[in-house]
Amino acid sequence: MIAPDAGGGVAAALAEASAAEQTVAVVGGGTHGRQGGPAPTPDLELSTAGLRAVVEYTAADLTITVGAGLPATELADLLAGPGQCWPQADVRPGASVGGILSAASSGRARLRFGPVRDSLLRAVVATGDGRLVTGGGATVKGVAGYDLPRLLVGAHGTLGVIVEATLKLWPLPPARAWFATGGGLDDLLQRGKRLRRRAVRPGAVIVTPGGLHVELVGAPEDVAPPDGLEPADEPPAIAAPGLVAAGVSPARLPRLVTRIETMGLPYEAQLGVGVCRVGVASAAAVAAVRDAATALGGHAVVADGPDALREDPWGAPPAGAAIMRRLREGLDPVGILNPGRAPA
Amino acid sequence: MLLRPPSAADRFRALLDDEWVIDAPLERLLYGRDGSIAEGEAGLVVLPETRQEVSACVRLAAELGMAVVPRGSGTGLAGGAVPLEGALVLALSRMTRIVEIDEDVPCAWVEPGVLNLDLSEAVRHLGLHYAPDPSSQAACSIGGNVSTNAGGPHCLKYGVTSEHVLGLEVVLAAGEVLALGGPAPDAPGYDLRGLVVGSEGTVGVVTEICVRLTPNPPAVYTALCDFASVRAAGEFVSAVIAEGVVPAAMEMMDEVMIAAVEQFVGAGLPLDAAAVVLVEADGSPADVARQAAVVQRVGRAHGARMIRVAADEEERALLWKARKSAFGAVARVAPNYYLHDCVVPRTRLVEVLEEIGRIAERHDLVIMNVFHAGDGNLHPLIAFDRRNADQVARVAAAGRDIIEACVAVGGVLSGEHGIGLEKRDYMPLTFNEDDLRAQACARDALDPAGRFNPHKVLPGAARCGEAVLEAGHLPEGTWL
Ligand SMILES: Cc1cc2nc3c(=O)[nH]c(=O)nc-3n(C[C@H](O)[C@H](O)[C@H](O)COP(=O)(O)OP(=O)(O)OC[C@H]3O[C@@H](n4cnc5c(N)ncnc54)[C@H](O)[C@@H]3O)c2cc1C
Repeated sequence: MIAPDAGGGVAAALAEASAAEQTVAVVGGGTHGRQGGPAPTPDLELSTAGLRAVVEYTAADLTITVGAGLPATELADLLAGPGQCWPQADVRPGASVGGILSAASSGRARLRFGPVRDSLLRAVVATGDGRLVTGGGATVKGVAGYDLPRLLVGAHGTLGVIVEATLKLWPLPPARAWFATGGGLDDLLQRGKRLRRRAVRPGAVIVTPGGLHVELVGAPEDVAPPDGLEPADEPPAIAAPGLVAAGVSPARLPRLVTRIETMGLPYEAQLGVGVCRVGVASAAAVAAVRDAATALGGHAVVADGPDALREDPWGAPPAGAAIMRRLREGLDPVGILNPGRAPA
Repeated sequence: MLLRPPSAADRFRALLDDEWVIDAPLERLLYGRDGSIAEGEAGLVVLPETRQEVSACVRLAAELGMAVVPRGSGTGLAGGAVPLEGALVLALSRMTRIVEIDEDVPCAWVEPGVLNLDLSEAVRHLGLHYAPDPSSQAACSIGGNVSTNAGGPHCLKYGVTSEHVLGLEVVLAAGEVLALGGPAPDAPGYDLRGLVVGSEGTVGVVTEICVRLTPNPPAVYTALCDFASVRAAGEFVSAVIAEGVVPAAMEMMDEVMIAAVEQFVGAGLPLDAAAVVLVEADGSPADVARQAAVVQRVGRAHGARMIRVAADEEERALLWKARKSAFGAVARVAPNYYLHDCVVPRTRLVEVLEEIGRIAERHDLVIMNVFHAGDGNLHPLIAFDRRNADQVARVAAAGRDIIEACVAVGGVLSGEHGIGLEKRDYMPLTFNEDDLRAQACARDALDPAGRFNPHKVLPGAARCGEAVLEAGHLPEGTWL
């Protein structure tokens, strides 16, 4: 395991690995380790844990530039000082900024704040052949050339290793709180639909087996229990050996949930977003969830799980698979990065 | 110089009705320009109406060895739609169908020629709108917006075009139709949709787009704040953001611009102000009240002489009309203008504005400012007369100085107009050879043979596999 303490060190290590045709597993906080398909043990492990610098933070600009290995919880603490946040990210204990971006891990408040993809303004990336490349710009807005940062989000480190990121920040909302109620699925979906279509969007409207959970965000006056809901804790994460993330049009999510409820699996459906996370324990369950999602024009990927559940982590090849391969050949010509993680 | 084969027009007439293949020299001339000051020459112009026709035209162009320049409404300000070397201009202005509106997402599938404002009008009865609102929204197309990743005043809160494009369909060089994304989030694979957004017509022709629609806010507060110095106005903008408030929009206009606009629109703008800032806050009534209180307090603290709050929708519309007709107003007072577009960190706004003032003095030019201040997105506008060769040379020099001043404080080359031809050769100011090569890899993955809109965005010979980057030259007289 190597853990360079600067982007240049990452690039140098990758240049060497490319020259020696050694495969490299990239590790951030290690929380997204169980993704992608089965692959032979890589020759080398490269950790971004040494890259934790806060490179630039002028709070009044509402942007921050940090090393990719910075733990997201540390970042959150730092931002809270001047009353700011990175609201799109799924901040789990241990997760690094670079890992969250590479895995495109959006948090639950996506209905209100959008996907984490929209928060990356600029990235410095070490390509597979060891070049240090900067894409995007460090201002809140900019269109200087092709949007490389967006390509890196969700690329699972297969186009390059993100070593530094500039993020767009938001003020911490003055108030936020969770509310919940129970009931039958049809009723919960109906009520959830009304809530998610409020003109002032909630942070999240989530349906779980037997429960409706709503997070309200904003001025204190707006964070009052909606009709029939009680103050509650944030719903717990799904506990299961594996996790599938299904995506369908938000208009079709109620139909997907209805199908999944009949499978008896634990789930968390994000109304208005179109994401349904489902706990699974078998490859058959992965396939069943995927069939239900694709029948509704969507898709399902294995977001976490042991090898046995990740024989086919992505499903059918995506549109444009040949283009994706060309992209990878351009940035990682020897093909050393994160074997098994490339989605095409 | 035209590089097209002599029989080209006839070959395209076999694909489209005669009237949609434009070959007459005078008419072709109209397609040689866009909203910028660049000039080129269209070898031929075609106006397909369906994706199949687009695909057939792209295939034929490849066979004839003609480069393809996609064109929306031609309001672009970076020369992106300007054809060079007699390329084929493929105009999408006939593809204007709103294919489907799905209220339940909410989103709409539209063809690329739909005008930005027409879409918002079409969904108004549903209490929805399309959030990115370039000042040119009555004229520019959604396809053009997607290709330039357009912004607008309300993108401060709502984000630029890329945040509102859920999916799109693009016709690639071999004529194949590729559908990317849609309302289902997080499709597996690399985000090619995100790569096509902002690619300025260099990777394919966008033939359909799925855009996110946004619910109209329940409450809105619009105020015009009037300052005795540009410095005070700029500091006011930074201070509002620093208070933890990101309004829906914060637009600034300086004295020269106020005079031009007031004469044109008659909105009652204060003619003796050094700068005005138009602030809009939206959200729930409680949230809007909170933001309005901050605007009032911070405004007074920064010496706002007057804060004019729009009393009703009519007054709000008038204030926005003043903002959005700024460029039209300039057109009446200057024979030509060169509109710049760069972004600086918000906290550097004031010093860069002051530097731009000095640049104007140094080059003896009139520079006016009207811009998206909340984002730090500057739009210095240089008025000139293109018949005056000496002045034209000074305009070009001042332009370079402005760009360098923005880059020097950590800014980027363009906020929303794009690189196109205009800033192509400035790219090395912010990107090194490796950076540009990686961008070329992204472009080449979609359009390996470089059939679409050649010479745009990346300098000269930037290609994925090679390390050499020599600035290729533009044909004489293309730019300024
Ligand atoms: C008065 C005025 C005000 C403006 N204000 C703003 C503003 O506030 N914010 C802003 O962002 N811009 C602004 N602009 C610039 C311009 O309106 C935008 O860049 C707009 O997005 C261009 O749209 P268009 O349809 O005119 O595209 P065009 O000018 O026709 O084309 C722009 C680029 O997109 C490509 N293209 C167009 N359609 C397609 C397609 N279907 N497929 C592939 N490529 C395509 C072209 O090749 C070209 O590179 C303004 C312009 C003017 C004249």
